[in-house]
Amino acid sequence: MLDRRMTQFNILRGAVAIFFALLVAAIFIFLTSESPWESLRYLLIGPLVTVKEGAIAFNMRNMLEVLAGMTPTIFTGLAVCVMFSANQFNLAGEGCVYVGAFVGGLIGVYWNLPPFIHPLVATLVAGLVCSVIMLIPALAKVKLGASEMVTSLMLNFVMLYVSMHFLNFYFADRSRGATMTHSFHDTARVVQIVPGTSKLSWGFIAALIFSVIIWFFMYRTRWGYSIRMIGINESFALYSGMNVAGMIVVSQMIGGMLSGMGGSFEILGRYNQFLWLNLPGYGWTGVTIAILAKNNPAAVPLAAFFLAYLNKGCMLMSTKTHVASEMIDIIQAAIFLFFAAEQFLSGYRQKLVVKTAREELLKQGNAGIENGGAENA
Amino acid sequence: MLKQLAEWVFQIDFLFVILRITAPILFAALAAVVAEKAAMTNIGLEGTMMLSALFGFLIAYWTQSWFLGVIGAVLVGTLLALMMGFFYLEFKTDIILTGIAVNMLGEGGAIFLLFMFTGLRGNTAILVTPNILIPTINIPLIKDIPFLGKILSGHCILTYVAFLLVWLIWLLLYRTPLGLNIRAVGETPQAASSVGVSVKRIKYIAIAMSGALAGLGGAFMSMYYSQGWNQGMVAGRGFIALAAQAMGRGEPVGAMLTSLLFGTAHGLSSKVAGLPNVSSFLVSMIPYAVTILGLFIYAWNRTRKLKKRGIRRLTGI
Amino acid sequence: MTKRRPKMADTPVVQMLGISKIYPNGIPANQDVNFSVNKGEIHALVGENGAGKSTLMKILFGFEKPTSGIILMDGEEVTFASPMAAIAKGIGMVHQHFMLVPSLTVAENVVLGMAPKKSGMFIDFKEAVRLTEEYAERFHFDVEPNARVADISVGMKQKVEILKALVRGAKVLILDEPTAVLTTQETEELFRQLHELKNQGFTIIFISHKLNEIKELTDRVTIMRRGKAAGTYDTDSISEQEISRLMVGRDVVLELEKTPAEPGEVVLHVENLQFVNEWNKRMLNGISFDVRKGEIVGIAGVEGNGQRELVDILFGLISPEEGSVHVNGVNISDKSQRDLRNMGVSYVPEDRMTFGIAGTASINENIVSDRIASPAFNKGPLLNMKAIRETSQHLIEDYAVLCKSGRQHVNMLSGGNIQKVVVAREFSADPLLIIADQPTRGIDVGATELIRNKLVDLSREGAAVLLVSADLNEVMELSDSLIVLYGGNIVGYFDDGQWDDVMMGEYMLGLKKQSDEEVKRACHA
Repeated sequence: MLDRRMTQFNILRGAVAIFFALLVAAIFIFLTSESPWESLRYLLIGPLVTVKEGAIAFNMRNMLEVLAGMTPTIFTGLAVCVMFSANQFNLAGEGCVYVGAFVGGLIGVYWNLPPFIHPLVATLVAGLVCSVIMLIPALAKVKLGASEMVTSLMLNFVMLYVSMHFLNFYFADRSRGATMTHSFHDTARVVQIVPGTSKLSWGFIAALIFSVIIWFFMYRTRWGYSIRMIGINESFALYSGMNVAGMIVVSQMIGGMLSGMGGSFEILGRYNQFLWLNLPGYGWTGVTIAILAKNNPAAVPLAAFFLAYLNKGCMLMSTKTHVASEMIDIIQAAIFLFFAAEQFLSGYRQKLVVKTAREELLKQGNAGIENGGAENA
Repeated sequence: MLKQLAEWVFQIDFLFVILRITAPILFAALAAVVAEKAAMTNIGLEGTMMLSALFGFLIAYWTQSWFLGVIGAVLVGTLLALMMGFFYLEFKTDIILTGIAVNMLGEGGAIFLLFMFTGLRGNTAILVTPNILIPTINIPLIKDIPFLGKILSGHCILTYVAFLLVWLIWLLLYRTPLGLNIRAVGETPQAASSVGVSVKRIKYIAIAMSGALAGLGGAFMSMYYSQGWNQGMVAGRGFIALAAQAMGRGEPVGAMLTSLLFGTAHGLSSKVAGLPNVSSFLVSMIPYAVTILGLFIYAWNRTRKLKKRGIRRLTGI
Repeated sequence: MTKRRPKMADTPVVQMLGISKIYPNGIPANQDVNFSVNKGEIHALVGENGAGKSTLMKILFGFEKPTSGIILMDGEEVTFASPMAAIAKGIGMVHQHFMLVPSLTVAENVVLGMAPKKSGMFIDFKEAVRLTEEYAERFHFDVEPNARVADISVGMKQKVEILKALVRGAKVLILDEPTAVLTTQETEELFRQLHELKNQGFTIIFISHKLNEIKELTDRVTIMRRGKAAGTYDTDSISEQEISRLMVGRDVVLELEKTPAEPGEVVLHVENLQFVNEWNKRMLNGISFDVRKGEIVGIAGVEGNGQRELVDILFGLISPEEGSVHVNGVNISDKSQRDLRNMGVSYVPEDRMTFGIAGTASINENIVSDRIASPAFNKGPLLNMKAIRETSQHLIEDYAVLCKSGRQHVNMLSGGNIQKVVVAREFSADPLLIIADQPTRGIDVGATELIRNKLVDLSREGAAVLLVSADLNEVMELSDSLIVLYGGNIVGYFDDGQWDDVMMGEYMLGLKKQSDEEVKRACHA
């Protein structure tokens, strides 16, 4: 009884949290936009439909772009899910996306492999490199007791600058005006699902497949099980005989691997060269997604869709009505605060608990009268 | 190379620069110290600095007064911190997550707000006028001391404030009833509440002060250090400050020393960057790498001491 | 029931009348308790663990609100919404776990929350030190106001706690098992000081298990048993034996079917364990005993006499200073919990919420946590969910865990059912050795009975069982042989089944002690 009510309550609370976040967005829109209603329309339904002379038509192109935008963030979202599940506040996903894209991109430029195999190998190597990088905060945590959070934050900058160094001094295409690598081999491209300009590549499908794989890993393997138990209660995990230190390291390596793969799929699926000169922000979006998905890998694609949709909405709002697209960060922050709030609507939750307890007491009371003698023996 | 570095470190203008570079890290490190004393890890310092830097600058621009700008930056920092406190204390949102949210606001939100208020994108270079930059001052007497005078005099007012605050924060924490309460609440909340000290109220005050200090750091960045607000301006100083806090054992003076260490690393990296055949990117990395290294040494040392005392840690770590 | 000799000077300063307290989980901690303390006396409050002493005192100190009943102070009715209200009325409490901030000085702790100020904003440290010294001198407390609390001894910390209460104007002092953490010398000093306080007109409520201390120190004694007051007596009119009988007297007897044990070879061999805790108190003082296959060895004793440390050493949480533990002939000093599990050790932890379960995981997940890597539950890389579900379902039925399904979160269950989940896991691991630490604490009668029966069954099937329990009924009922711990020593070993609560009480409370030869029989090797 209580379980079902709690599920309903959690859904309601999530909805209210999102509503509040959008309310905050609406307030800013009304403050800044010259045509707030139009801005709001673009934000909320722009990615879905086009309104032309009163007729509403489904907008396929926008929708495909929304889906394309999900690829890297599904990966980073999954990465954060795994790490947060083990109660590891490792925030180096951001840097790993960058390094993953860089490594994947270089393999796309310099290795010669058959099509299909090429991007896969590139992405796997990118993931491997990033999982090795994650050994730094992970081992420092279990061997030295150093906070993985601060280490990983610093590591983001280290990863950025080391990659930039190699990009500038060894791999830059000098014939270009801006800093970028040579173009990827055609074999290295992650093929588009729908030919055209949407840039929706098979990387998206890979992301969905990985959501399933990571879900299986977390909920259907002994390692994922250990990771979750460590996150819920580390003392209990240790007491049960689990390899706590080992799994803490593994969880962060998996986090690195997924982030790196996300970066590689993104660069090989949507770009012709590696040309990022700053951290792309996908790692942080991954944190928001994990919060929205409550660390459940199966919910990650949905959460990623929601954010990609809002992101696209913000873009449209920006180009059509001149409200800066960085609005997305304000919405994200608001979602974050309300969604992660344990006591948000706690008064209502308490009422539900009390109500259920009363009902069950009443039921037990009736049963208690029948075998009351035994209870008091 | 090492000899070269050693020479730089003892050059007058370099020592002067180090103080300047250290100041913003120091503000943030003190902010981290105050919050951590009340058992809160303020990871939102980065975003707080970004937003207070922006609003400090804008308010200074609108009023054409650097002083009002600084006040504005402090207010914005305080408000952001109070928002964090509100979600953390009333809604029990994880303090780390509220910090990440503030950082998101500082990242994109700042750009959005800049555009909203001025129509500018990414930086405020064109708005800069001398009125809105925090002035530097020469200190009479001290400026005439040979060697030291050139290092210590002629800094921006806020640089002095930063170092003065080390003392003031120490005074606050160790010499006032409020400081006593903050330390008690952070260390043993049940002991504090058992004698009628409101844990919640004290935590609100501590996080607000943390925000105000980060606000000063923000003002320093946009109204002096970078001469205007721009997107990548804070560049992880809020995070470095957390490391400085940890390595400084959570004490104001310790945080100042580690901030000076990171300031020196920063200073050296910009010096080295001027040399031929040196990668500016690897050099930019130095402060962050030094921070990681410092953290590891600190943690290793602490773990070793625990082991010496025979404590068999539950985690098996 | 009450055998008070009324005296003209008897003026009750605190009266608690008809106090009942039913906790939200339905456990009645106090039932219609009357408790009255006279001005200027030292009044002992005694009772077994869980008898309701702490709850009664929490109510008096404003931590808990009584379900019914009233409190009178100097004849006037008062209600305490918080400890602050109780403090304002002159009640002070010294908790067993000190409420001190370690990094602050003694004086700072004393004035915390009421720090004297100078020039408007700064703490007047001189005044704080003066205040501390003034009170310390008035009551002959030998404390150093400028020492950091982290650096001072436990006895000193306790004095600081008492000073804190006195500075805040306490007239009635509640001391919760103050001697549990003290050395003999410190205890003597504390008693001198309490006498001093009494002479100066203060009233003291002294919670303790130690009958010799109660006889030595107190004027009157109130005995609690199972949530009720079992009587108030003038201390010199009642013998220690009588107090002991009133404390542990049984009113519920669970009869247990038990065939005689047929002990096999030694499984657990504990030799000369020594342990000194971080406050330099010797908690274990050369403990040696064996547990053999097929028998239940019970460890009886009032809590805090070394049981906690013994169990922690047995499960590898702390290392002994000296001595060794062997399981099946293997020294476990460097073994991890994982190794111990693989050696066939099962462990029912006292603190089930911290060690026993992962609250927001399902029953199914909790019930297999120690064997998740076993081939029976894995098909290649994947978990065999069907096998896990079936095992869990089987155990849920076998242990009568009251739940909707195995998918329910374990923290949604009642305490008794949570403990059944823990026990089901530990008992079904095919254990060679079971260490059961307070296996039935705070749970309902039904669950208790089930767990006790299972424990007996397992031992009869060949497991070695070490049962540590503060519940005297439980150890007496279940054990094939019985060890009594007192002050870190084994003071009694019994293997004849001829024990009763009066006799046990005398050993547990330190009134009696066996000779070394008799104790040595606990080792069989």
